[in-house]
Amino acid sequence: MARASVVGAGMTKFGVHDTPLQELFGDAAFEAFDDAGVGPDEVEALYFGNAMGGQTENVTHLGPQCATHVGMAGKPVQRYEDACATSANAFKNAVEAVESGRHDVVLVGGVERCTPETGKDTDEMTRIFASASHRQYEQPTGLTFPGVFALLTKRHMHEHGTTEEQLAEVAVKNHGHGSLNPKAHFGKETTVEEALDGPVVADPFRLMDCCPFSDGAAAVVLVSDDLADSFDAPVDVTGVGHATDIVPLADKETPHVTKAARDAARQAYEQAGVSADDVDFAEVHDCFTGAEVLASEALGLVEDGQGGVAAAEGRTSRDGDIPINASGGLKAKGHPIGATGAAQIVELTEQVRGEAGEHQLDGVSRGVAHNLGGDAATTVVSVMEARA
Amino acid sequence: MSTQDTEDIELPESLSYHDWAAAVREDRLLGQECGDCGHVSGVPSGACQECGGRDLTTVELPTTGEVYSETTINVPPEQFEERGYQVAVVDLGDARVMVRIEGDHVDIGGDVVLSGHIDTDDDHPAPTFEPAE
Ligand SMILES: [Zn+2]
Repeated sequence: MARASVVGAGMTKFGVHDTPLQELFGDAAFEAFDDAGVGPDEVEALYFGNAMGGQTENVTHLGPQCATHVGMAGKPVQRYEDACATSANAFKNAVEAVESGRHDVVLVGGVERCTPETGKDTDEMTRIFASASHRQYEQPTGLTFPGVFALLTKRHMHEHGTTEEQLAEVAVKNHGHGSLNPKAHFGKETTVEEALDGPVVADPFRLMDCCPFSDGAAAVVLVSDDLADSFDAPVDVTGVGHATDIVPLADKETPHVTKAARDAARQAYEQAGVSADDVDFAEVHDCFTGAEVLASEALGLVEDGQGGVAAAEGRTSRDGDIPINASGGLKAKGHPIGATGAAQIVELTEQVRGEAGEHQLDGVSRGVAHNLGGDAATTVVSVMEARA
Repeated sequence: MSTQDTEDIELPESLSYHDWAAAVREDRLLGQECGDCGHVSGVPSGACQECGGRDLTTVELPTTGEVYSETTINVPPEQFEERGYQVAVVDLGDARVMVRIEGDHVDIGGDVVLSGHIDTDDDHPAPTFEPAE
């Protein structure tokens, strides 16, 4: 049985948008409404994600503004903030709301602007992103977010022999995938040589190992299992796991194992009654190439220590045995923080429906989404599949 | 710093951030040991990270350790003027801490020793380590 069902999905192109947040969110929400064939009057609540509008654009209390913009004034809105896992957390709570009978039809989505359109330059945005690390015990060292994932990845390289070339292969793969996705921030392919030639941001990460600062929005209409059959092409949500880990990073037992992802995946697979072997494809949180390596292992899609090897061997390419980030992932599709988790749900919906256009995968009916926040201390893993 | 020097210093019964930061400014590292499960943390917490117990005792952490992971940051946040500085997670035995590395670059597994602290981030100190002799 489904915990809930997605019946409408929409997202903006990820990239650079000179558009106020509510209008950007509206573009995704209206697309989701139209896809579902519902109007705002039928939607009972908004589960909304925005991570850093207060810091980037001096905008808080954005939930009712966005609800008003999409014709949902008066409806209850709850806003989630969980760093990069912001809208996956909104999604998880929305699933629980329709599953429990609290609501039958809800809108879930997120919006964020991270490019210089906000008026913030790279140094300022680097500081704002670093606010997701510990204020007292991490930020004073000068740690950045590329630095956080560099620390995790370096340890993985030390223990498993993962190489910089393998990391570059992840970037090459995801750029290749993104070149087929018209909604992706980057539409250009790259090469291992080009990736390894880029400037170092935080070793082992060079520029091409890092996702871009992006603007964008994504939204889905979610309904209860009972209602799903009255819609065209519902895609079932059969499992959503959510776990956290110790903050700060140094106190985590084995930081690069990303325990929260493993715990969340176990919950999600258990709810769905499946194992990692039953998953046809995955969208994982590749904010940095190393993060995809860690995620592919934490989700059980490749063996521990083999994440880099799997990417280099093409196992995680769109024509491999377990395609990862067919959308281009955060690396090429882009990473508008508070929209990223919802965009993964949009991607899973379109792939399972067979409506992903040029980047459609062959014969996929079950996908998993992995959205993490902070130093992987929050992770939400969702399983979605074709309705039986 | 030898154990001898610190024996006389009274450790706070309940470790706060301000106690921890004051210790860092005196080139010392304080953590907490859980009376219920024995877990040692590298920084203060209101309850044990492992078991949630609140029977925590402040402990003096060693000032020598081994690099657990490290990275060199070339694109710093706006308030950090320099570039190309090394940040590391240092394993002190019972606990780990995040620090800035000073002096020569150290790889994972390298021995390091507490060398002082930096205070470039709005009155928030961070411990610094350097390669051991
Ligand atoms: Zn304990």
